[in-house]
Amino acid sequence: MNMVYTEKYLKEKLTQELDAVHVEVTDESDGCGAKFSVLIVSDKFKGKPLLARHRLVNTLLQEELKTIHAFTQKTLTVDQWKTQ
Amino acid sequence: MSVSKLDSVEDFNNFIRSPALGVVHFSAEWAEQCKQVTDVLEELLKLPEIQSSKTQCAVCDAEALSEVSLQYKVDSVPTVILFKNGTQVDRIDGADAAQISSKIKAQSLNKSPAEITPQKLEDRLKALINKHNIMVFMKGNKETPRCGFSRTLIQILNGTGVQFGTFDILTDEEVRQGLKEYSDWPTYPQLYVKGELIGGLDIIKELQANGELEATLNP
Repeated sequence: MNMVYTEKYLKEKLTQELDAVHVEVTDESDGCGAKFSVLIVSDKFKGKPLLARHRLVNTLLQEELKTIHAFTQKTLTVDQWKTQ
Repeated sequence: MSVSKLDSVEDFNNFIRSPALGVVHFSAEWAEQCKQVTDVLEELLKLPEIQSSKTQCAVCDAEALSEVSLQYKVDSVPTVILFKNGTQVDRIDGADAAQISSKIKAQSLNKSPAEITPQKLEDRLKALINKHNIMVFMKGNKETPRCGFSRTLIQILNGTGVQFGTFDILTDEEVRQGLKEYSDWPTYPQLYVKGELIGGLDIIKELQANGELEATLNP
């Protein structure tokens, strides 16, 4: 089964699983579901170094990342986002 | 004992005549994977059990020795053929390091390949990761990156002036999949510093933005 993931699907999943305050998902493959960039703002990232944050997201999206070809993520805590 | 070179049909015939195992690597200068195969052969020759079995390894240019290539149906490089007493006893087409290692060991020690435990992928990965202080596992290589993210990472590293090595995961499916599990990281490129995973392009970009990149590359 070849799943094609949508921005909506990823946004909902990330928001839910990470209690995210703000999530932006952009499909950079013109709707092909092959390349995404995401911005996630959540306090679940507090106290975690970058690698750990990205690993957390990678684990959540383990299944999806098997078919998504390219993935860029930006992970911020609420405070970090406010000072952007 | 190191990998010798066969420059003529005569060299070749003399080499394979031996009753001990003779390994011939048919290669080409322009094929990246052939360098990896030669590395594998050199490493094998360092093993005590291989040395005591009197196994020898040689490399020849498949195009220069075209009659031999034709005779043994070598239609692509790298191809590794194992000989004893002038007869072919086994072969591996393509850069399959695991098969090359296990078949050479099996023939050297006169055991069936199933009895030889293949060189653990994990050991191979560890060796690769520690090849340089800074290692990038990427698609393509320093001169010719083969993906946008890999290209950008190389550009950033070049900008810092640090020395680093690269490994092209497109040339080795086993490493490509194995490293994802070993690192617990699903994508490429992957940057390692002193044997530790730093992360992918995103993380490098963030470190650069935070001014932490130099420190991370020089722990």
